[in-house]
Amino acid sequence: MIQLIVRRVGMMILIMLVVALLLFLINEGDPTLIARSVLGPYAQAEQLNAWVIENGYDRSVIVRYFEWIGRIFAGDLGESVIYKRPVSDIFWDRLGNTGILAGVTFVIMVLIALTLGVLAGMKEGSLQDRTISVFSIITTSIPEYASAVFLVGIFVFWLGILPGTSSMTSGFDPVQMILPVFVLTLYGFGYIARMTRASMAEVMTTPYIRTAVLKGLPYRHIILKHALRNALIAPFTVIMLQINWLLSGVVVTEFAFGYKGFGALLLEAALRRDIFVIEACGVAAVFVAVFTQTVGDLGYTYLNPRIRFK
Amino acid sequence: MKDRKVLSRDPRRYTLPSERALGAETHSYLPELCDQLKTGKINRRDFLRQAALLGMATGTVYAMADKLGGGSGIIGSAVADEMPKAGGTLRISMRVQEMTDPASFDWSEKANVARLMVEYLTRTKSDNVTVPYLAHKWEASDDLKTWVFHLNQGITWSNGDAFTSADVAHTVNRWLDPATGSSNLGLFGAMVEVGEDGQKRGIANAVEVIDDHTIQFNLKQAALAMPENFYNYPTAIVHRGFGADYEADLSANPIGTGAFELAEFAIGEKAILRKARDWWAGPFYLDEVHYYDHGEDTNAWVAALASQQVDGLFRLPNSAIEAAQALPFVDIHEATTAQTGVMRFRVTEAPFDNLKLRQAVAACMDHDEILQKAFKGYGQIAENHHVCQIHPEYAALPPLKRDIEKAKALLAEAGYADGITIEIANGDTEGPWMTDACAIFKNQAAPAGINIDINKMPANQYWEVWDKAPWGYTAWTHRALGTMVLGLAYRAGVPWNEVAYDNPAFDAALDDAEGTLDVEERRKKMVLCEQILQDDAIIPQPFWRSVFRASNKRVKGFSTHPTLYDQFHEVWLDG
Repeated sequence: MIQLIVRRVGMMILIMLVVALLLFLINEGDPTLIARSVLGPYAQAEQLNAWVIENGYDRSVIVRYFEWIGRIFAGDLGESVIYKRPVSDIFWDRLGNTGILAGVTFVIMVLIALTLGVLAGMKEGSLQDRTISVFSIITTSIPEYASAVFLVGIFVFWLGILPGTSSMTSGFDPVQMILPVFVLTLYGFGYIARMTRASMAEVMTTPYIRTAVLKGLPYRHIILKHALRNALIAPFTVIMLQINWLLSGVVVTEFAFGYKGFGALLLEAALRRDIFVIEACGVAAVFVAVFTQTVGDLGYTYLNPRIRFK
Repeated sequence: MKDRKVLSRDPRRYTLPSERALGAETHSYLPELCDQLKTGKINRRDFLRQAALLGMATGTVYAMADKLGGGSGIIGSAVADEMPKAGGTLRISMRVQEMTDPASFDWSEKANVARLMVEYLTRTKSDNVTVPYLAHKWEASDDLKTWVFHLNQGITWSNGDAFTSADVAHTVNRWLDPATGSSNLGLFGAMVEVGEDGQKRGIANAVEVIDDHTIQFNLKQAALAMPENFYNYPTAIVHRGFGADYEADLSANPIGTGAFELAEFAIGEKAILRKARDWWAGPFYLDEVHYYDHGEDTNAWVAALASQQVDGLFRLPNSAIEAAQALPFVDIHEATTAQTGVMRFRVTEAPFDNLKLRQAVAACMDHDEILQKAFKGYGQIAENHHVCQIHPEYAALPPLKRDIEKAKALLAEAGYADGITIEIANGDTEGPWMTDACAIFKNQAAPAGINIDINKMPANQYWEVWDKAPWGYTAWTHRALGTMVLGLAYRAGVPWNEVAYDNPAFDAALDDAEGTLDVEERRKKMVLCEQILQDDAIIPQPFWRSVFRASNKRVKGFSTHPTLYDQFHEVWLDG
């Protein structure tokens, strides 16, 4: 197991270095573009060249890449062109905000998804199963930008009971979290529910469950003690993947509600070529993607003895 | 010191009492202006504007207009009919952008935050009339080449320094220094020359301090719109130490003559302005003004208003008017403006360096259809010369008609008898109606063999290429006079000349028009300016658009300025 962990972590670092290199080449491959981004559209060619030389961007790209990696480890993420202050001043706040949104959504979404998935999978083909399946397929197929408008129409314009934006301008307000969490949960729970349902349905057809039923054990006991534990192994990986989606896939929801999170920061940086912010966000997104994947793999191996002992 | 005789009337000439009654001692042209109003040659609004520009006191201007029969005194204080209540916080949804150097502001939003701290020599009101502000009056020489501004006394900066001519001189000299990179270099072309190195800079002795509260501007050519030019978003007057004794960064050094201080400022999040002292110019009812940034999604702005998280919107998108109308506690404020979008060609880039091709494209446009379909008819049709019907000097040219046969013939002459595919860059910088306008024009041009590809890009990306793209759809804001935008955008060599237009005949015609005070005469001269632009087909321009804002009904005195400039000194909160 330790060997597996070391191998996985080594692979994770290697992937991150390669992706970071690609990210760096795309953003900083052409020093003139960086100068343009920093000095603005009206800067003259001489000013651009002077900036490139003054800031050492005339050196080889590989040297700059490793320097950049070194700076990231030292916590220096560069200076934002839009915000006119160090990226690290904004970045961690925004990441924290998204962490709150993602965390709340994650807990609610996973609880709903697992409950509905198990309920559906217990009796495959029943009315209960069909109702839950159709509902989760519908919600998953409605993109966030559409459900955001739809829910705002109902709860803000029609009923007038919820705030229409979530910019938290006067400090943290849990009520402002309701609509973004609602939108994200509505979109995200269906996938986990469907995977849980499939896994549950498969477990319910296995001989040991049939034996338990024939043995006369109470149905509730069979589900909770015997079926559920095995049925949750497969959705585990899907759940881990959702963490990745919750960090970098919330752009649309944050945009729709003016939520000051990581996704909105990345979107604005991308639209306005704020390269140091793009790089910081890119590295963070890659880290979360690779890290959750690694944890997912390790967890799956731990939970599933068949893989562990192979 | 320059000879100031030009500023006053010839002392040898006797001024009749009747002329004096009509303001002849303020400016020799005022009696003539009064006569024009009386005989109906100019309308009330033109009279108000012209008389104020020539230095007549605001109260006198309105009283004179009433007396001469130009209409009833409809333009009064917006709060006159109700007793304003002092206090409270006004919350506005608006993008909060960086706010470094007012001289290089390129967005009204930046100026809106700054305007509560730094102020202007003049102020153009929502009715398009320019009135005194930091300057309490001004005078122009008869040849409009020398302008003297008299500054209010007793105004102090928030750091305790007295406001004097030195501040104005410092500010204007910064604009005229090419190193500042201010668009004012184009706006104040009459104070600018091209140096031996080919770079534009202020002319020698352009700014002359007469005394602590009098400043004179010496122009190389006549300029009519000096007072109005002093109320543009990059023309706020900054403290004399700005960019000299301390860094040119207003958000870091928020020193101003206004009543408000910058309590909190976070780009992309909020700007909190708090009243720190009494306003020198009179009552300012609000205690605080908060600008909250809800991002780029216009649905979020309206949702913020709907859930009463804010009291007003910087701008109500056209697409959201119906949603806002459905809210019983919301007022919608419309302003007819000279805001527009121009489908401008960069005439130095192939294939748009081909005049016949440009003319062929322009001939395909049905302006009214684009206005009706892309903007629900909220506005007026334009005529491809960037002078609006609401501009005083607008001259009507023969109406433009879509003519496909003419377009085909021009296309053949241009060497594209088999048709051509051209690409227009569009960033929807003012809303999705811009894409709709492009799409409708694409359909209109197709029968002539002109296939238009729409290169849709994010708004911010468009602003990186707005002055480089061979063909692009650029939004231009409202300006009070037609000559103002022509000088900013189409005079050879000015920074915002996105068309790369360089036509000495046009520059000469524009100089001539800018130097003509008489509206009737100026209108005649504008015929040439407009005709040259139309004939050169550099800017197919579908329409002029109205702009809208929305506010909660508890906000009183709220209005829409044609340029979306916030003027909150008359705004108060009821409950």
